Amino acid sequence: MAEPAISVKNLSYWYGDLQAVKNISFEVFPGEILGFLGPNGAGKSTTIKVLTGLLAPGSGSAQILGRDIGRDDPALQAQIGVCFEEKNLYLEMSALENLNFYASLFGIRKPSSMELLLRVGLADRAGERVRNFSKGMRQRLMIARAFINKPAVLFLDEPTDGLDPVTAAAIRRTIREEADRGAAILLTTHNMMEADELSDRVAFINEGKIVALDSAENLKLKYGRRAVRVRLRRSDGGVREEHIPLDGERASERLAELAASPDLLTIHTEEATLESIFIQLTGRGLEG
Amino acid sequence: MKRSLPGRSGKIIGAIMLKDLRLYGRNKIYVVLTVLTLACFGALFWLIPGTVEETITLAISPPLQTIINEGKEALRELGASAEMLQELEQTEFAEEGLELVGLESAAQLRRAVEGTLEVYRPKGGGDLILRDKAAGEKKPKDAQRVQLDIGIAFPDSFIAGVAGREKTTVTVYANADVPEEIRQAMQSFVREIAYQLAGRELPVELPAEETIILGPDRSGAQASMRDKMRPLLAFFALVLETYAMASLISTELLQRTVTALLVTPMKMWHFLAAKTLFGTGLALLQGLTILVLVGAFTPANWLLLLTIMLLGSLLFTGVAMLIGAAGKDFLDQLIYALLFSVPLMIPAFAVLFPGTAAAWVRVIPSYPIAELLANTTIYGSSWRDSLGLLGYALLWGAVLYAMSLLVLKRKVESL
Repeated sequence: MAEPAISVKNLSYWYGDLQAVKNISFEVFPGEILGFLGPNGAGKSTTIKVLTGLLAPGSGSAQILGRDIGRDDPALQAQIGVCFEEKNLYLEMSALENLNFYASLFGIRKPSSMELLLRVGLADRAGERVRNFSKGMRQRLMIARAFINKPAVLFLDEPTDGLDPVTAAAIRRTIREEADRGAAILLTTHNMMEADELSDRVAFINEGKIVALDSAENLKLKYGRRAVRVRLRRSDGGVREEHIPLDGERASERLAELAASPDLLTIHTEEATLESIFIQLTGRGLEG
Repeated sequence: MKRSLPGRSGKIIGAIMLKDLRLYGRNKIYVVLTVLTLACFGALFWLIPGTVEETITLAISPPLQTIINEGKEALRELGASAEMLQELEQTEFAEEGLELVGLESAAQLRRAVEGTLEVYRPKGGGDLILRDKAAGEKKPKDAQRVQLDIGIAFPDSFIAGVAGREKTTVTVYANADVPEEIRQAMQSFVREIAYQLAGRELPVELPAEETIILGPDRSGAQASMRDKMRPLLAFFALVLETYAMASLISTELLQRTVTALLVTPMKMWHFLAAKTLFGTGLALLQGLTILVLVGAFTPANWLLLLTIMLLGSLLFTGVAMLIGAAGKDFLDQLIYALLFSVPLMIPAFAVLFPGTAAAWVRVIPSYPIAELLANTTIYGSSWRDSLGLLGYALLWGAVLYAMSLLVLKRKVESL
């Protein structure tokens, strides 16, 4: 198995007396997307700030590409890309100038800025000042900026927050392409659909602690209920539903009976959603 | 992966400075402010009078010759000797720096000082021309107005009265704008004339007078208001540039673009160095441009002036970084800018009047810069004269800059 690109062990961080991150441990491998799923204030962004060197860890350790995290390691920072939740772009510079400027900080002589703008659908607005961009356009430029140095590790903090479905889908495709290229991606989101669609594994984070970490499939299997919902026609012409837990006694017999019934209309499997699992584990929703 | 090399650091700092220059150039307020400052300061300088009027013009009535002629008659009647009369004839009443303008009557003199009666001197010479504005008289051609702000009206029988030891009243008319010191000087002047005319020495033994001029005697070559504006304009250019620099820094902090920079190979010191170099360079360039426009550089002072401006630019960049780090929004920044810049401007005014700067003014960080600029551009101070103040300026610059680095670093880290 490949070495993890991100390796975090018992990491904690305090804002004064408030412990924002509590003893978390996880790994992200090259080509993998780890979704950090949790409500606002759960500690997702703080974790990213610690891992990117913006905050010094309170306790525990973390390594990226085998090197200890920290701000004063330009060689390490040359290998990471970050997309912040806030749109911290230079508004009086064009999209192309923003990208070229960041490329120059990485020492890239011939940046692939136009190629990136093409990927995020901003090539035709390359020369326009960012001040005139919509929220979605700025977010796409943020993504392009995070990719400018072809990073081995990507930290994406709420990359599709507040975007329209079309733009969000386009950004998700781009993120998946980066993972396919081999980048290890830590993606924070409170969007259950996004985490489910994009993430190879999902970590539920609540009040600074990771409460569950596994693939979405395994989490659903572990915490969801295996059941089917059967719809049947009633004698009076109406419709009735029957809920059959698959792990229950006589489940297969009852299913066979219903399958043979002339009144059978439909059979649906009932799968737990990530949100329902999160609520089950934490007692709160993701939008909180 | 290779670690950062010095050349790499240079490129990072250069890239940030280039970006700042681009943002500076795209901010209409900065650009307009810079162009206006240069244009207005340059124009203002050349519009201000470049010469100093060192002669006080004093109106006198009746004209001096009339007073003397009448006095001679009266003294002759009183039995004065021919020698005494000759002495009176030869007495020099006008002193160096004092021009007497004779008017026929006290009423004329009063109106001339009031300004309702204008006095003109023909350019080709000749008798004075009086113009009664109230009567609608036209301004005379080829004549220059004589500004009379103070005058002395002697009674007709002044010399006879004084010589005869009678109580005589002399009236001094002064425009409200005339300072108290000048009025008192005129009263002393009247007393002196009276003693001269009375043919008596003062009833006291006067001490011997000796005036020692410290530094070059500038009598006849006083610094004009234009000369005095030179250091002031350069100083104000530095202050104005502080606003632009502070704004650039606070925008970087408020929009949190600096956070995005810190996750790249750029280190904190790259950021601070870039801001320092850009701010200092910008202030220095603008300050030097002003000094060139006002013709402050000479072959003897250019290096000293450059050094002073460099120290000043560093000091004001430190101030800009403090302001930029302190403000949470535009209003905050404006308040801090005023809070810092107003006290820093005080020394610029104080040094215009040598010897008047109060002790507390000398403690203001910008004092040595203002004093050095004034001494160098107005009074031609040399390196040797300036060493003490240069050291003081360097000390203040270093303290303020170190403080600003610390504050800005902490601010960036807290984002």
